[in-house]
Amino acid sequence: MSASIQAPPVPDPLGAPAAVAPTRRGFMRELLFGSRQTVVGLAVIAFFVVIAVLAPDIVPHSVTQQTGPVYGAPNGHHLLGTDDGGIDMLSEVIYGARVSMLVGFAASVVCMVLGGLVGVLSGYFGGKTDIVLMRITDYFLVIPDVPLMIIAAAIFGRSLLNIIIIIGVIYWTSTARLLRAQVKSLRERVYVQRARSLGAGHSRLIGSHIMPQIAPLIVANTVLTIATAIFAETYISFLGLGDPSAISWGKLIQNSLTGGAVFHSAWWAIIPPGACVTVVILACTMVGQALEDSLNPRLRVGHLSVRRFRMRPFSARIESR
Amino acid sequence: MDYIVKRTGFALMTLFVAISLNFVLFRAIPGGAVSGLRCQHCSVKFREAIIKQYGLDKSKWEQYVVYLDRLGHGDLGTSIADNRPVWDDIRQPLVNTLPMIVAGTVISVLLGVLAGVVAAWRRGTLMDTANTWTALAFYAAPTQWIGILVVFYIALPLGLPAAGIESNTLSIFGPPSTWAFVTDRANHLLLPALTLGIGLYGEYALIVRSSMLETLGEDYVLTARAKGLKNWAIVWKHGLRNAMLPLVTLIALSFGYIVAGAIVVEDVFSYPGIGLATINAIGRQDYPVLQGIFLLLTVAVIVANFAADLLYFKLDPRVTT
Amino acid sequence: MRAHRLAASALAAVLIAAGCGGGSSTNAPSGGGIKTGGVLRVGSTSYIDSLNPFVAIESQSYVAFTMVYPQLVQYGQGPKIEGDFAKSWTTSTDGKTWTFTVRSGAKWSDGTPLTAEDAAWTGNLVLQYASGPTAALAAALTHVTSMTAPTPTTLVINYDAPVDNVLPQLEQFFILPKHVWEKYAGNSGKDLKTFLPEHSLPVVSGGPYTIRQYNEKGTTVYIPNKYFYGPKSYASAVALTYYTNSTSMIADLDAGNLDFVDQVPYNAISSVKSGGRFNVQSEQSSEVTNITFNSNPLKPKNRELLDPQVRQALEYATDRAQIVRVVYSGYAIPWANMLSVQSGPSSGINWLDPSIKPLPFDVTKANSILDSLGYKKGSDGTRVVPATTGKYAQPAHKMEYGVIVPNSLDFNGDRQFQIIAASWAQAGVKLHEVNGGDSGPAYALETAGNYTKFDLATWDWNEYIDPDAQLSYMTKAQWFSWSDTGYNNPQYDAMYKQQGTITNVQQRVALVMQMERIIANDRPYIQLVDEGLVTANTKGWTGFYPDLGAYCKCYYTAPHRV
Repeated sequence: MSASIQAPPVPDPLGAPAAVAPTRRGFMRELLFGSRQTVVGLAVIAFFVVIAVLAPDIVPHSVTQQTGPVYGAPNGHHLLGTDDGGIDMLSEVIYGARVSMLVGFAASVVCMVLGGLVGVLSGYFGGKTDIVLMRITDYFLVIPDVPLMIIAAAIFGRSLLNIIIIIGVIYWTSTARLLRAQVKSLRERVYVQRARSLGAGHSRLIGSHIMPQIAPLIVANTVLTIATAIFAETYISFLGLGDPSAISWGKLIQNSLTGGAVFHSAWWAIIPPGACVTVVILACTMVGQALEDSLNPRLRVGHLSVRRFRMRPFSARIESR
Repeated sequence: MDYIVKRTGFALMTLFVAISLNFVLFRAIPGGAVSGLRCQHCSVKFREAIIKQYGLDKSKWEQYVVYLDRLGHGDLGTSIADNRPVWDDIRQPLVNTLPMIVAGTVISVLLGVLAGVVAAWRRGTLMDTANTWTALAFYAAPTQWIGILVVFYIALPLGLPAAGIESNTLSIFGPPSTWAFVTDRANHLLLPALTLGIGLYGEYALIVRSSMLETLGEDYVLTARAKGLKNWAIVWKHGLRNAMLPLVTLIALSFGYIVAGAIVVEDVFSYPGIGLATINAIGRQDYPVLQGIFLLLTVAVIVANFAADLLYFKLDPRVTT
Repeated sequence: MRAHRLAASALAAVLIAAGCGGGSSTNAPSGGGIKTGGVLRVGSTSYIDSLNPFVAIESQSYVAFTMVYPQLVQYGQGPKIEGDFAKSWTTSTDGKTWTFTVRSGAKWSDGTPLTAEDAAWTGNLVLQYASGPTAALAAALTHVTSMTAPTPTTLVINYDAPVDNVLPQLEQFFILPKHVWEKYAGNSGKDLKTFLPEHSLPVVSGGPYTIRQYNEKGTTVYIPNKYFYGPKSYASAVALTYYTNSTSMIADLDAGNLDFVDQVPYNAISSVKSGGRFNVQSEQSSEVTNITFNSNPLKPKNRELLDPQVRQALEYATDRAQIVRVVYSGYAIPWANMLSVQSGPSSGINWLDPSIKPLPFDVTKANSILDSLGYKKGSDGTRVVPATTGKYAQPAHKMEYGVIVPNSLDFNGDRQFQIIAASWAQAGVKLHEVNGGDSGPAYALETAGNYTKFDLATWDWNEYIDPDAQLSYMTKAQWFSWSDTGYNNPQYDAMYKQQGTITNVQQRVALVMQMERIIANDRPYIQLVDEGLVTANTKGWTGFYPDLGAYCKCYYTAPHRV
């Protein structure tokens, strides 16, 4: 697509680690722990993943039963108070992590599979396959994602699975673009050429030569997509299009509005879910961007010489233009 | 010139894809597109007659041809809920949303430039870090959540209007004076636009900061500084000018996001714009209206993207492909 | 019929005798000293979905009809029936002919004379298409055979039998301006459903107000109709503003932008009460919430739900007290009768069978009933219905059902669903929520495939004092019009016809109670609660009759500045 200009490199405000290339093991270690921000980001993500996995075991109270007064203030028994249903907020936020992280991870897996498939095929085979697949990708890149998502959710009904699929299907395009570029350059590399001349089949080439090379990039992209998906989920839930029986952070934000937390001055029902979303998205962005930068220095000079921060669904689209 | 032709072709093609996607999506509705028909008091027979009236008994291809033909004549179809032309139903909401989007953009650009300049000028200091991270945090926060916080911490304590587009008594005894109208509208516009602005300025801040950093280290800037040129003059003459290209393009590209943000912000503030119209249409399952809204938003985003491409070309003719 | 299904508004119905100040007749300006003028700013989370009475569903629309269309009679304070457009009436000795004398010299807001002919024309129109386009108003004219207007001030209504509740029924009959609607009466009446008066403003009105500005989900402006035949509005205008969420509405009330909130959201009552800035009135409403069972005997799937025993078990598994506490902040009472509190002693005639009471919340009992029916719990805790033959024949399946929850409820439907799902799960029944959208789409979901697609819904009825309308909703004749259960019981239908023509009140009460018992036993609904109606107004205004919304033109005309 457009804009392959070379603008001067821009210092990264988030201070991503410089690209390092030596041995693979050392490389990964450097990559993940090379910068304080990456470490912090990883720690935050790990924290929420642990919470999400353990949610049913660590919630202090039931999330379906009333265990306190309506909008009870935080106290020793309810550390984050209670919501409009007298349900423990802390327990809900913990469960919210489970649902939001599930949506985030699952949707980005959908995204990776779809985008990965298209990207790898397109980049590997090139020619007509490439042209056709990339055309399709480009058109979908421009269609505004949030309205599309809202309408798809309205049409196909409110369930967690639907939301995961919808988010995944909407955000595969940028992944496809990214991977295609990477695969394309790999394909030309000498050793792949050599393997081919030795008579390796496509599946073998892709499986044992291309995939290992792009795997870290896929990981990086997945982390970034998690942020996008979590953000998107809050929109869908907020508009009442989420799974009504799943407690997600987006749903909790909506609850605080419909439940009238504002006129009970119940800050404890308003702030935690949104703050969790913000923190997780920031963490994902820190990690994902650092990974991506070091893996693919070329990306640092993106479109318009601007580093886009992929927290927002739409940002993803421009990045790859 | 080649570039412009290419981009135009691409925009047109995308438009066509969007239009077709719009058609396909809305035919995939489980239960059929007339599930929202106002048929509380009508017989099965009556229902069938209406289905016929909407042309939904024809084959999909025929419907597609009719759909394209009507679109070609500027006909977006007829609302199922109130039986008016879709355009009549969404024109007013569109007009209402426009000032909010403009105001939101202006606020975010102002905030972004301010934050970016301050951060760049004081680079490396605590001020820079705090500033940049605040911008990022707001950028990562769900817009509706920011909206609720704005209601809670700004609207209620200050008694600012937190609902609607104008005072309920504004035009009650005939049309108000232009001044009264404008101030009243502006009053109601303030908080929703502020919410949008806060949610979006992070990106602008980062670009401005990057561009500023890039230039501030250049020799001619150092010279200017040595010559005793005033700080603001340096920022203005050298720093901001460099940021203009990415900034202006980014504004056009951010259109998609700001529309998405407007949808949830309108829900928080009961602001009768296109977002509320979308939510209403979802509630009423008024698919023709939804279809119309989605189409218009898509076209708007495609046009904005196209504008960004052109602007980009104009500002930086080096761009090829 | 404003049988308001739907919940959003407050206005429905309440009519309790509690004195709301004011003079003897609700309509009469009680002497001098009343400050006129000022704009009455009303806030609501219910909206006017249409001014066409043949298509509107939302109860806010029925408030608008009351303000814009003349009625022969209306409810005044008490609640008592009083004349509106009709000044007086007489009945023939056989009880089959009613003659109304209507106001002379009345005019529509566009200056066209408003006469008995408008009423007769509307009546005959409704009768003509009663089984189709005009079904929504037809219940008000049950047993009517024709209407005539021998003189501009005389309206004669002919019945096919003597009917006991003529006046309460006619209270639900809105008179449309013939000169406006005439041109839509052709085309088998289909155009009657597509003409929307709200799009040709100002609306031609015969009531105290005409509508100058209409924004379905914004502000709608009522301006006094200078030709109105009755007591004029004290306020110089009424501005009704719709809010998408209670937070923005209460924020506006706090900011001093509203004078009256027609139903304070339950979760906001405590904060509106605190500080003492507003007058808050609360009373039992005529709105009864329920869990609706698809009761169409022909429904193909999950047929065990047709079994009254299963329904009884599920009622045992329903914790009404928690719903009252959490969803209504205590402003509701557990309820089991199909008729509302308002049909009780306060209406003058006690229509309520005292033997119908909510079952206590008892999961153990629910489990033992379901166990005894042979529905064993599976390993996941959800019961399995074995393959059966006979009355409820069907293949084996789990007890898992979708529950339609409409958007436009005046309470937190999601919360209520959560509470029900949590306690039913303890009885081995798994529920998932199906979003119903607004009332129209939700009703379409219920009636889909001739009442064969849905299993359960949670909704409510906003009822009339006279039980007739509510009783009618259970008849086959109301399928696709107001029936939301697909209930079909010929014996019940016969009783319904019969009760309408009993002129002895005691006999009618006995029959109505019998019908209540049939419904209570068959349980097409598990009735949940009778909602409280809580309104708030600023201290700058007085003269509110919160209970008379959609019943009386005084609802907007009587409030005045202090």
